[in-house]
Amino acid sequence: MKTFKIIFFVLISFAFAFAVSAEDIKKKTNKQKYAEKVKKMEETFFVASKKGETLKGVFIEGNSFFNGTTEPQKKPFGEAYTADELYAAKQSAERNSKIMFLSYDGTLYFPCPEKGEKVTMSEQSHRIPRALTEEQKKKGLFTWSTPPPLIGRVVEVYGKIYPGFAGVKGIHIESIYFEGEYVVGKKD
Amino acid sequence: MAGKKIFTLKSIFYTIISLVWIFGLTAIGHISMVLVEKYNPAYKFTFGWQMAVAGFIIIYMTRWMKSDSWQSFWGMLGGLALWFAFEYSLMYGGERMGVCYTWNGSYPEYRLMKWTFMPLLMVSTYLLYQESVRCNFIFFLRRVFRLMRTKAIATGKIGNYGPRTAFEYIMITWTFYILLMIAYDPELFGPYSWFTYMLFFASFSVFFYLCYKLLGYGKFGPNLRYAIPTVTVLWNDIEILAKWGMLKEPWVHINWPIMSVIIGGFVVSTYLIVRDLRGKKQEMIESTDIA
Repeated sequence: MKTFKIIFFVLISFAFAFAVSAEDIKKKTNKQKYAEKVKKMEETFFVASKKGETLKGVFIEGNSFFNGTTEPQKKPFGEAYTADELYAAKQSAERNSKIMFLSYDGTLYFPCPEKGEKVTMSEQSHRIPRALTEEQKKKGLFTWSTPPPLIGRVVEVYGKIYPGFAGVKGIHIESIYFEGEYVVGKKD
Repeated sequence: MAGKKIFTLKSIFYTIISLVWIFGLTAIGHISMVLVEKYNPAYKFTFGWQMAVAGFIIIYMTRWMKSDSWQSFWGMLGGLALWFAFEYSLMYGGERMGVCYTWNGSYPEYRLMKWTFMPLLMVSTYLLYQESVRCNFIFFLRRVFRLMRTKAIATGKIGNYGPRTAFEYIMITWTFYILLMIAYDPELFGPYSWFTYMLFFASFSVFFYLCYKLLGYGKFGPNLRYAIPTVTVLWNDIEILAKWGMLKEPWVHINWPIMSVIIGGFVVSTYLIVRDLRGKKQEMIESTDIA
């Protein structure tokens, strides 16, 4: 009887576990090996960069941009915010105000998931794979990044661009390159 | 007994093994989460649920273990599994609610965890007044702040060290995570604030005191249980050093040479603990084991 109880308990527990895991199955599988995936991502990025198919620009904070509190588009490239503005923009970004991508040529992009994806989460939680140079790899820099810590910093992105609406284009960022460390934790 | 402060070679040996084991377990816990995220992120929520089930089963199984040391050993593993499940549930909640990373790099699950401080406070309040609690720190708080209406505490034999150890592990880990998250929050204190420095200093100094106390436990069960707060307090300093950019955590950056040493230490200490406990199969729970 005791053994039966244990077996019953274990089976019920696993039934619950597998019932809930059904949601994961809908997600993309990750069959490609991690090292191969990273290698392919970096090759694609650096080839695209040489061909001029990447975009250089800065991540800007949407709320203060659209209500005119900040004007990063009028500032010299790479100096989108003053120190005070940057602090406020980063705080807003981590509170989930939408982050936009302002490219070097002044085009505004809305970072979005890949075309066809329906129920999606905030792109500000999206871990973007980071293309690292050999020198950066030696330094052991973080291998991915998310937009909030990169507000105001010059980055180069590669991805799919969509026509968008009213001049604002959509971009699904597949990989990103930038100088320095992603994880703040050092004074900057 | 801790009170006598008689350090024997045995207690020194137990202390070293317990510290290495719990440190190794914490590091392996971290790296397994990093590996799941890196190599198979689609599996993470299934993994979280499996950990929850495993944790409950492990804790349940301790009801058939006679030795308090075995109960503590498995209770610790059960607590870790449940903690995994908690973190994954927060990750899942973070995705569902669109919680993003902070500009200073904090992950969504830890942002959410920070706001569980009120439930933590409520559970802690209960423990503070619960007569059967035998935590030294709570005794200290009761004494200093004269919290109890009477001096009576529940005495007698403890029969469920497995769930107690699991709960101890969960509560300590929870408390210290929240302390760190509060310290790192730039709108409250910030990574370079006086609070973080004080936390670093307090953890560093208290660690050695706890090691000294730990040396007084001449049995594996109490020694393992007391090693949980001891290692967690040290872990605070490791986390803070990493936040300050002075330490690259080998379990986050997957430094295999360093991780191999930690995993090796964990395996050896596991072997030594199991060998010692098997040699004491007949040992029964003693009411004097009050850690």
